[in-house]
Amino acid sequence: MTRPRFSTLRRALVAAGLATASLGALQAQAPQNIVFWYHFDNPEQTKVMDGLVADFQAKNPGIKVDAQNIPWNNYYDRLFTAVAGGKSPDVAMVKLQQQAQLVEMGALEPIDARVAAWPGRNDLGDNLLNINKGHDGKQYYLPLQYVVIYLYYRADLFQKAGLQPPATCEAFLDAAKKLTVPAAQNGGTPQYGFGMRGGRGGQDNWGPFVLSQVAMTPAELGSPKAVAANQFYVDLMRSHKVVPPSAPNDGFNEIINGFKSGQTAMIFHHIGSSKTMHDTHGDKVSAVPVPACGGKRWTSFGDESNAMFKQSRNKDAAWKWMSYLSEREGNVKFVGATGQMTVTRSGVPQVSFQPRFAKATADSLPFAAILPPVPQTSDFVSNVWPTNMQRALNGEVTSAQMMEAIAKHYATK
Amino acid sequence: MSARRRFDALPYVLVSPAVLATLVLVFAPMLQAAWTSLYHHILWKPRDVRFIGLDNYLAVAQDPVAWSSLGRTVMWIGLTVPLQLALGLATALLLNQRFRWRGLARSLILIPWALPSVVIALMWAWMYQPQVGLFNDLLLRLGLVTEAVPWLAQPGTALYAIIVALVWQGFPFFAIMILAGLQTIPASLYEAAAVDGATPWQQFREVTLPGLKGVIVTAVMLRLIWVANSIDVILVMTGGGPGYATHTLPLYAFKRTYGSMDFGYGTALACTFSLLLLGLIVLYLRRAGRDIRS
Amino acid sequence: MSTLPNIAGPRPSALRRALTLHLPMAAIVLFAIGPYLWMLLTSLRPEATLFSAQRTLLPDALTSANYVRLFTRTTFTVNLLHSVVVALGTVAVGLAMSITAAYAFSRYRFPGRRALMMTFLLINMFPLILLIIPLFITMRVLSILDTHLALILAHSTFSIPFATWMMTSYFDAIPRSLDEAALVDGCTPLGAMVKVVLPLALPGVIATGIYIFITSWNEYLYASILAGQDVRTLTVAVQTLIGEYEIAWGLLTAGGVVGALPVTVLFLFIQKRLIAGMTQGAVKG
Repeated sequence: MTRPRFSTLRRALVAAGLATASLGALQAQAPQNIVFWYHFDNPEQTKVMDGLVADFQAKNPGIKVDAQNIPWNNYYDRLFTAVAGGKSPDVAMVKLQQQAQLVEMGALEPIDARVAAWPGRNDLGDNLLNINKGHDGKQYYLPLQYVVIYLYYRADLFQKAGLQPPATCEAFLDAAKKLTVPAAQNGGTPQYGFGMRGGRGGQDNWGPFVLSQVAMTPAELGSPKAVAANQFYVDLMRSHKVVPPSAPNDGFNEIINGFKSGQTAMIFHHIGSSKTMHDTHGDKVSAVPVPACGGKRWTSFGDESNAMFKQSRNKDAAWKWMSYLSEREGNVKFVGATGQMTVTRSGVPQVSFQPRFAKATADSLPFAAILPPVPQTSDFVSNVWPTNMQRALNGEVTSAQMMEAIAKHYATK
Repeated sequence: MSARRRFDALPYVLVSPAVLATLVLVFAPMLQAAWTSLYHHILWKPRDVRFIGLDNYLAVAQDPVAWSSLGRTVMWIGLTVPLQLALGLATALLLNQRFRWRGLARSLILIPWALPSVVIALMWAWMYQPQVGLFNDLLLRLGLVTEAVPWLAQPGTALYAIIVALVWQGFPFFAIMILAGLQTIPASLYEAAAVDGATPWQQFREVTLPGLKGVIVTAVMLRLIWVANSIDVILVMTGGGPGYATHTLPLYAFKRTYGSMDFGYGTALACTFSLLLLGLIVLYLRRAGRDIRS
Repeated sequence: MSTLPNIAGPRPSALRRALTLHLPMAAIVLFAIGPYLWMLLTSLRPEATLFSAQRTLLPDALTSANYVRLFTRTTFTVNLLHSVVVALGTVAVGLAMSITAAYAFSRYRFPGRRALMMTFLLINMFPLILLIIPLFITMRVLSILDTHLALILAHSTFSIPFATWMMTSYFDAIPRSLDEAALVDGCTPLGAMVKVVLPLALPGVIATGIYIFITSWNEYLYASILAGQDVRTLTVAVQTLIGEYEIAWGLLTAGGVVGALPVTVLFLFIQKRLIAGMTQGAVKG
């Protein structure tokens, strides 16, 4: 007696249905792993990252985040090696300087559609998404945190000398001269008006004096106006001697420590150091936006974003993590660990900075800018600027030669 | 001496593990890098890679920075290695004698060599700092200078300041290697010399130095190669600056490869450097009389 | 009996010994550990006082806070252990490969010997930083990225050339007549190496072993790129203390102080074997 075909068929269908359902369930249960690269200055703060990961994973069961704290020193060497070697992270912290190169390499995944559908986009600060657009018009970077360079100054020394915080470059020079005191008259240790940063990263100090007056195009960089503006900056060291003699080699570490130990009266830096400044000097330290040169102001916008990599195999999960870090709750906790500014508007009241530093930051935003988002910028920052600036400060090249070298660099393809 | 005429596989067997490991993990990547130097290859322009033959090498020959870096490299190894050798030799001779705290001395000598380069570089950079550094502090207190010297910011002093740090870092290598070499000189030779009436200085010249010759020649050669290539300390202390004042050729190769991402040109610089170094070593070995009999 | 085990002569006076031995030795030791002591002092100061306006050579207050932070709030201990494992592994593999190769170079004259020795050297002349990407790809394909094995292989490979050359020169100092005597006595060539030559070359083995250990211990580049997360060594961990906007000086100096100790302590124990007398009386006549 034959079994009715109907029930055999039904059994087969049910079996197939169960198999598919269980397969689907298995797939849904298999955790999606994403690797996230970040860099915290203080390794003790990695506990904050652990908290963020735990919180995110609780809200998104099925996603596992492997957050790795990579030493800053060779962060980009490692990133480029990983991309070239075929093992990039899913998401990583990145800066605009590297965007052009990463895009050219085809390393990044565009996120335009995802951002458009993301509710958090309306909470981002003005213009942040725009500044971070790739030069091919696509969005690759999701803003994470930022700082803006402003001027720290010793309010007590200024008051004693009857000076106002400088609003123009001429006033800046004047204040620097008045606050440069030789050792003999200062109880054995010399005091300098300005802690110039001539080492790597120092283009942030140089920009307010030069880039306020010329744009970073080959034509304008080589112009007499640019040469004169650069000469003004070089003269701070070579003619007026208002900077410490170690300036050509000084990096962030030296200028901050110099200011903290009272050796200098003014430095350019940002809100990331405000806590340690306040701890050292209390109310004796204050901040204002950078001075205006030739009537205009320019200051450096210190960006940091997250980007998704094309090699990622779990792009949806990666996006969820990225967007979590740029939404208010995650972002405020994140910047709590790094000491930088939140990119969210709703988060601003929740971050704790000394009011005067937050004000200096906010006041600087209208004229905060980035270096040109072209591939040449990365080499400009690591090689062309430091080498030429140091040689100009030491008198090995003239201001004209330095500006010509920079113009030439940006003219090459 | 083995005067075997028939083929003896043993030496080949003995060297094969080393050769195999080196072949796969170093030689193959090195050949790949050398091959890259024949291309125009900028890391972030993977679509623009093209074969250009020896053009990179021609560019190196015309690059003034490459030439000045080469000159600096010569000065770099020409000062660092002899100083390390002299100090290491003196230390080894002292450590070879019998005294109660010898074990402690031998271990403490190791410390400069045992520290990570980045820590050494940061500490020495801090000590050289004009405002908060130890050296200027001492010099000012002793009245030897009237104002602090920015050792690392002046082109005239930066390289020499780093050389001092390197001598400090590297002399323990010579001390230990030479100390081990001293153990193989038989005491009977010294006794015979003493019987002949030789002073300690004469014994040193006639017995110790000849006995150490093999070890010293090898150690110096290895150190030449290591120092020539070492860029960690320079990178952290000055980054190659101020200007080009502390650029050595390998450091320049590094900056062009990882800073400018110009892999083609960077590897061409590195290959040029390696070949020049190889030439130097071959000359050195011939002059030191250490003929490798084939 | 003289003070110098090697140089013979009448024993000098205590004053002479002080001037020609103890004083110079102390001066050199002080030079060697001076910066280290400075680092130690810095690590014992409260971090907030490091850059204050009042600079003093000696700290007013000593604190162990930096060490406490280092061991409890960072992964320093784990990183130290990783470094030890990798370094010891490198010594084992490196010595095994370089001793066998060096014995061949020292005792045999075979075709390709000269070329091989020079090739080994050539490998060390190439800036390692430029080999990273091919090596990274190789290890990724072999799926050994971020393991102890990856670092042990990488480290032993680039210490082999140096170690081989050093061991060759130490072997060369031992007369071949000893090998011949052993062979006549019925030993195999390998047996002769192990039973006769190696014990006499022990000081050289120790020196080479220390060299390999330190090279691996201090290595940063490969440790950070070929590994770095699951297997994070001390050198990589120290680099995390150097940030973009901040250097954790207290932790850094404490880490540096502790980081140099394992090697130093290790050497303290094995340096006793660096003594003369092993070749005494070995060759009669």
